[in-house]
Amino acid sequence: MDLKFTAAEEAYRLRCREWIAANAHHAAAVAKAADPVQAARDWQRRLWEAGYVGLAWPKAYGGQDATLTQQVIVSEEMARAKLPPLINTIGLSILGPTLVRHGTEAQRRRFLPRILSGEELWCQGFSEPGAGSDLASLTTRAVLEGDDFVVTGQKLWTSLGPIADWCFLLVRTDPSAPQREGISYLLCRMDTPGISVRPLRNAGGGVHFSEVFFDAVRIPREQLVGELHGGWKIARSTLDHERSGLSGVISLEGSLERLWRQAAAGGEIADAVARQQAAQYWIELEGLRYLGLRALSDQLAGRQPGASASVGKLFAAKLRQKVARAALDNAGPYACLTKKSPHVVGKGRLVAGYFDSLGYSIGGGTSEIMHNVIAERVLGLPRSTGEA
Amino acid sequence: MDFELGEELVALRDIARDLLAQRWKAESARRALDTPPSRMPAQLWAELAEMGWFGAGCSEAGGGSGLGVIGAALLAEEAGRALLPGAMTSTLAGAIALDRSGGAALKAELLPRIIAGSLPVTLAVEEPNGTWGPDAVVMAAQAGDGGLRLSGSKIFVADGSTAGLFLVAARVGDEVRLLPVEAGAAGVEAVPMQRIDAQDIVELRFDGVRVEAQRMVPDAGAAHDAYAVWTALVAADLLGSAGAALAMTTAYAKERVQFGRAIGSFQAVSHRLADVQVNVEIGRSLLYAACLALDERRGDAGALVAAAKAFIGETAVDAAEAAVQLHGGIGYTWELDVHLHLRRARANAVTAGDAGWHRETVARHMAHCYA
Repeated sequence: MDLKFTAAEEAYRLRCREWIAANAHHAAAVAKAADPVQAARDWQRRLWEAGYVGLAWPKAYGGQDATLTQQVIVSEEMARAKLPPLINTIGLSILGPTLVRHGTEAQRRRFLPRILSGEELWCQGFSEPGAGSDLASLTTRAVLEGDDFVVTGQKLWTSLGPIADWCFLLVRTDPSAPQREGISYLLCRMDTPGISVRPLRNAGGGVHFSEVFFDAVRIPREQLVGELHGGWKIARSTLDHERSGLSGVISLEGSLERLWRQAAAGGEIADAVARQQAAQYWIELEGLRYLGLRALSDQLAGRQPGASASVGKLFAAKLRQKVARAALDNAGPYACLTKKSPHVVGKGRLVAGYFDSLGYSIGGGTSEIMHNVIAERVLGLPRSTGEA
Repeated sequence: MDFELGEELVALRDIARDLLAQRWKAESARRALDTPPSRMPAQLWAELAEMGWFGAGCSEAGGGSGLGVIGAALLAEEAGRALLPGAMTSTLAGAIALDRSGGAALKAELLPRIIAGSLPVTLAVEEPNGTWGPDAVVMAAQAGDGGLRLSGSKIFVADGSTAGLFLVAARVGDEVRLLPVEAGAAGVEAVPMQRIDAQDIVELRFDGVRVEAQRMVPDAGAAHDAYAVWTALVAADLLGSAGAALAMTTAYAKERVQFGRAIGSFQAVSHRLADVQVNVEIGRSLLYAACLALDERRGDAGALVAAAKAFIGETAVDAAEAAVQLHGGIGYTWELDVHLHLRRARANAVTAGDAGWHRETVARHMAHCYA
């Protein structure tokens, strides 16, 4: 057990840092590009070609088979350079690990390299209007006709829906079976006839997610992941992946540093309450970082993230909200202004960050569900309600 | 980099948990509340020495087992879980402090006796000034007749009525240094201070106590280093306490039936326990990070120790308060062990610095990082 870096690892860090220094302007250019989506794909490909995407994935599918330490180094260097998250983050964090574990060899070879390169952007079709926290009650139907599934239904809260090339989705293939035993996991091209996407505006005013309608959409049978009717267990491991990892720590670091600079004049926060509060957030962020490292060590030792990922997810959402709210509090009366106001502070990012933070305790499993998961799967308390 | 406990550490923790559960009962901790202080039975002390635990955190060159601060912290955590008298944790901290900073002569003289269990040791740092730590030390060692003389008062000295050796923080010139003082030295008097959990703490009164100048711990940073190690071990004790309170309450919530259901199936109950579990896991992550940073002498060790102590201190009190509340009426009785953990957690939360004091250390670290 140690936190040390060897000389070879320090050399790896130096190479990574130098590469980022030489290439970070491409990331900075994404937001200003004429086609920001294409620019973001190009940035991800550039990063992947340099060996900094898919570190934990097998080499055979375009990954790096990297060590835990290398993953940590790369995430630290990305954070240090304040690089934005990758555009294909849903494919990278959720579908990729799922296919590595549950996909056929053909599926892995077909899909994994294109997730890494950003050639194919992925969205997730899990939630439905009537199936949110109670995801297993989903009703989107898939009927096997010949070699195709024919899918009809509606998915909701689909991030990247309007720009994604592919969607991984949960569908009901056996309505007569108990809820969790009649669900299958499918992969679907977003340009398949019968799919329509309607962007949804969120409470903060932005468009991050969408509704996706399926009207007799035909999906080839070979795009089934795992067993027919066996999708629920796969989805559950997907959720665990979605909830684990260090990525949340990185964006929080930037938020906390901004909070400090906002409150500190010349390096110190004079107000004792604000200073204590900022210190508490630093403590919680370090706790989250080392929790993430423990989870990574576990995964590399071959153990699944499991319910422990819910601990980090729950804690990170709360911390993000506390930091965002403190930043608004520190802005005093200016916290009520939109970014269009001539008096706005911080270009309106504080309000945007605050609204954004509220989504983190809903998306990927609500904090109420995370509490249930921890109570039931970690502490072994009796079930309070449905499945988590 | 590897951030999970290795086999050797897991084995040490498991053995400690089993042994302490067999040898020390919560009933003894309860009885001590009426007849303080809570003392380690001589037979158990001898057994722990036999197991080599007092040298767990010391280097192999120093006669220890080389498991580092992290190894000692695992033992301290089990001591907290078992409500064990504090003497083992104080001795672990003192032994590690000497091993890290002691210099060859002092180590050769003291470490073998400490590790063998014949010289229990503890730190004497705090003074009657309402705050904590070496920086607040006022007591100054006066030079004269080839030695140093100590006068004044040290308070909250853990396990001070049984320690054979005190490592006393005192000003020598511009620095706060660490000075070894034998319990029987002329001019030393120990006055019991009465902690809410019956743990042994004393006020040490010094009246011109003489210390040979060459016995001063040679490393100028020894007082701060020793205090950081001790702080990490107190945090570990608190983590054990939190874990015990959580485990007791979880077990009760599975058994206790009201309205025809186990109360653990009610979300008002289960979600509060889940919050404690989350904080225990975050606290554990901080503790391991702090201990490894100390073992590797990293620059951010002080900030991580402060982070761990601040966070786990509050977690342990929250866990014990949740335990009282969720046990209901029975949780508010003398007979149940819940209040023993509440007492220990409340007392340790303000031992080796409280959360607010440690957050100030963290704030200074942030100012340094963001400069």
